[in-house]
Amino acid sequence: MLNNKANKKKNLIRQWLREPLVHFLAIGAIIFLSFHLWGGGGPGSNRIVITPGQIDSMVMRFTRIWQRPPTSNELKGLIDDYVRGEIAAREARAMGLDRDDTIIQRRLRQKLEFMAEDVLNAQPPTDEELQAWMKEHADKFRIEPKIGFLQVYLNPDKREKAIQDDAQKMLEQLRAAGLPAENISAGDTLMLPGQVDLTRLSDIKKMFGSQFADEIIQVEPGRWTGPVYSGYGFHLVYVTERKESRMPAFAEVRQSVEREFLALRRKRELDAMYEKLLNRYQVTMQKPIEQSGTANAATVDSRGQIQ
Amino acid sequence: MKKRAIISIVTTAILLCTTAYAMDDAAPDYPTASSKKVQYSPYPEQNFPNKVYFGDTHLHTSYSTDAGMVGCTLGPEDAYRFARGETVTSSTGVPARLHRPLDFLVVSDHSENLGLSPAIAESNPKLLENEWGKKEHDLVKSGTEGAIKAYENWMHQNAIREDPLADMPELSADMWQKEIDAAEKYNQPGLFTAFIGFEWTSMPDGNNLHRNVIFRDGGDKASQIVPFSQYDSFDAEDLWKWMQDYEKKTGGRLLAIPHNGNLSNGLMFDDVTYTGKPLTRDYALRRQKWEPVYEITQMKGDGETHPSLSPTDEFADYETWDKASFGPQPKTPDMLPREYAREALKRGLAYEEKLGVNPFKFGVIGSTDSHTALSTAEEDNYFGKVTLLEPSADPVRFDEVIAGRPAPKGYQMYARQIGSAGLAAVWARENTREALWDAIARKEVFATTGTRLRVRIFGGFDYTEDDLVRSDFAKYGYEKGVPMGSDLKNAPEGKAPAFLIRALRDPDGANLDRVQLVKGWLNAEGKLQEKVYDVAWSGDRKPGKDGKLPPVGNTVNVKEASYTNAIGAPFLSAYWKDPAFDAKERAFYYVRVIEIPTPRWTTYDAKIFGVKLPEDVPAWIQERAYTSSIWYTPGSD
Repeated sequence: MLNNKANKKKNLIRQWLREPLVHFLAIGAIIFLSFHLWGGGGPGSNRIVITPGQIDSMVMRFTRIWQRPPTSNELKGLIDDYVRGEIAAREARAMGLDRDDTIIQRRLRQKLEFMAEDVLNAQPPTDEELQAWMKEHADKFRIEPKIGFLQVYLNPDKREKAIQDDAQKMLEQLRAAGLPAENISAGDTLMLPGQVDLTRLSDIKKMFGSQFADEIIQVEPGRWTGPVYSGYGFHLVYVTERKESRMPAFAEVRQSVEREFLALRRKRELDAMYEKLLNRYQVTMQKPIEQSGTANAATVDSRGQIQ
Repeated sequence: MKKRAIISIVTTAILLCTTAYAMDDAAPDYPTASSKKVQYSPYPEQNFPNKVYFGDTHLHTSYSTDAGMVGCTLGPEDAYRFARGETVTSSTGVPARLHRPLDFLVVSDHSENLGLSPAIAESNPKLLENEWGKKEHDLVKSGTEGAIKAYENWMHQNAIREDPLADMPELSADMWQKEIDAAEKYNQPGLFTAFIGFEWTSMPDGNNLHRNVIFRDGGDKASQIVPFSQYDSFDAEDLWKWMQDYEKKTGGRLLAIPHNGNLSNGLMFDDVTYTGKPLTRDYALRRQKWEPVYEITQMKGDGETHPSLSPTDEFADYETWDKASFGPQPKTPDMLPREYAREALKRGLAYEEKLGVNPFKFGVIGSTDSHTALSTAEEDNYFGKVTLLEPSADPVRFDEVIAGRPAPKGYQMYARQIGSAGLAAVWARENTREALWDAIARKEVFATTGTRLRVRIFGGFDYTEDDLVRSDFAKYGYEKGVPMGSDLKNAPEGKAPAFLIRALRDPDGANLDRVQLVKGWLNAEGKLQEKVYDVAWSGDRKPGKDGKLPPVGNTVNVKEASYTNAIGAPFLSAYWKDPAFDAKERAFYYVRVIEIPTPRWTTYDAKIFGVKLPEDVPAWIQERAYTSSIWYTPGSD
């Protein structure tokens, strides 16, 4: 029993440790701390420390290019350059240049998001997780219906006003003839097949357009019906076979479930990360200044709602 | 003081489950209890291509340095997701979605320092070990000015053709593996094809000799190499050699697709090889083998023909880009014949006469060449050539200089002149890497400027007009003749080639104006000729005294950016027998299908963003399709 309780606690910690956001914040904290303790001054500081390690790496880089170590003058140049770079970066930040610079912003953001992703990628989902998630998003994985049908096309350009009557007459003939309908060629020519074998609805849509696809899904199998309309004109149709949409077994679609799960988890975790970070900020939105009025600041809370 | 607060909008995860069905279908089909098997005129074993698949063989993501360094943050996975019909937030934060998903996509990122930009973004340790890489990294992170400098540095390395990361092959390999992984993840045989590919970006003096290299294979083979780049060579013959080595090493298959001859300043279909040698039979054989198709239309201009090359062709001046390349050298008229597809197809006949093999015997496809990771070729859903040009009211979307930057004034091409094009259409039986690749290799493909109209042509000596309405049209077509991309040889005594053509408009698009047959030939005097025949058209228009068919009319309402299908026809078909055939003359025949006028993307922009319509581009265009040719060769079997 005691064990059980300990296990529970362990599980909780394990679960907690698996939480990507926790990882992300932890990494952030480490970076922040190490910057202060070891890096020799943060962005606001006026202390620039050059460690022996940094000098080593400068020498190494120089040597790789010039195939010899730098002279003392050259080394001084390298160090000066580094110091300049540091100063420029800090001054720029102090002046808020990085804030107004969309490129920097975009880069920093990309890096932040890459870091978050690395944390996420280190945690592949379990099958149980995926299965549960698949259940929640059943519509995403439902296999669409398939329909097999015959179609006789009537061209409105050719038949003009007679098309309604023609369609009616032809429908009666086709019904009388049943199947196989030898006189199917009574219709007009179209660059689409007269016989469509069992085909996914989305593929029918690609061939005949959305309107036709929306209509044919409603047609009862086993008799000539119509006209069904497409962007091309009138169609008399005979649905020969229909397979209803169905839910696939997990094993059939595991790869896709994982792919979609990961794509959405990434989005969700990034949103959560920003939401959490947003709590630390107060965002105010100023109203544009009216001709004679004064600016009123509205405050936006962490959910983005204007107060 | 007017000051606007910077507002960062953080959206909570809203899962829009609007897609009703999955693109998944791993399970076998079990007949339902109620279904009964009905057979209607069952055909014997059919194995000919019966479906058209639409896709893009030319798309860049942030892994291309000229995309990632100038604002694109979306990677290959985003590109495949978008192509499959998912909603993706663009690099500038605009939610984007295709009206209809694509059937296939090649992410063809530039191989020159592939993945440099994401490596900078993630401060890749391998990149930082390299002096140049570290410098680029720091510049980019220093801000806009630094980023521009960094981009210039990279362009400079390209111009002098020195790979700055040559000592970091592991970095390229890592990034290439990421591209492969993305393709493998989204490739779903039967439903969506994610090809592995890259672009070899040969650009001597800024002249465009680029080729997209497409793998028939999966990651097991593709990961055995790193892509060939222009650092390795400017010369396409070296690329072919590299492709051959790959095939030998892995047992895989590759093909290369050149594009934008219009930006090559006469080098794309030149009369000499890159090293200045005359074309030989051997060169022609290799070019045919490795480059079966040409990308004839895309955002940076349409490459079928030029108005000065085809002065009597009233449809020749379409999305023409003829001012400059990316180098300093302005365009001169003598370059044009070596830049456009129709002229190259003609000159190929003359070379065949001379060498015995045609070096310019290519089929055609269209693609976007977009650098946003978003393959958008529709006029009313155009996400721009590069991230900077994504949809907005910002004047930059029209006014940015795209080509001719280093050239004298007057030789520039601007963002508003970019076309929202095109698509690659493939005749195949199933949507798999193998089936689509094979169709491209045998040239059974056509190009569209972004619409999904379908066109089919068969050529043979025994067709009659009655065959046009056959219910077994395709089966008969293949039995008695050949499809687009094939050959007719040695005409039987007294017979001329006849063609069966069918064209169907985009199911959700604009009607068709006309179907044309373009013939090019080498006459008895050794002169190259071309003629465009109107072979089918909508309504009861009659050709005038000059033989020209009157225009179809125009329903475009420019202010509202709308049109109607009140004119034109949804379906056109034609039987055409060459009336001027000479069995001793080499010839090619291809079909051009013209749609009725529809608003250009700039017109949609004017309506949606309330911006002024630019004056130097048309308000409406007539989108079209070009098929691969059928060639006629005399005296051969």
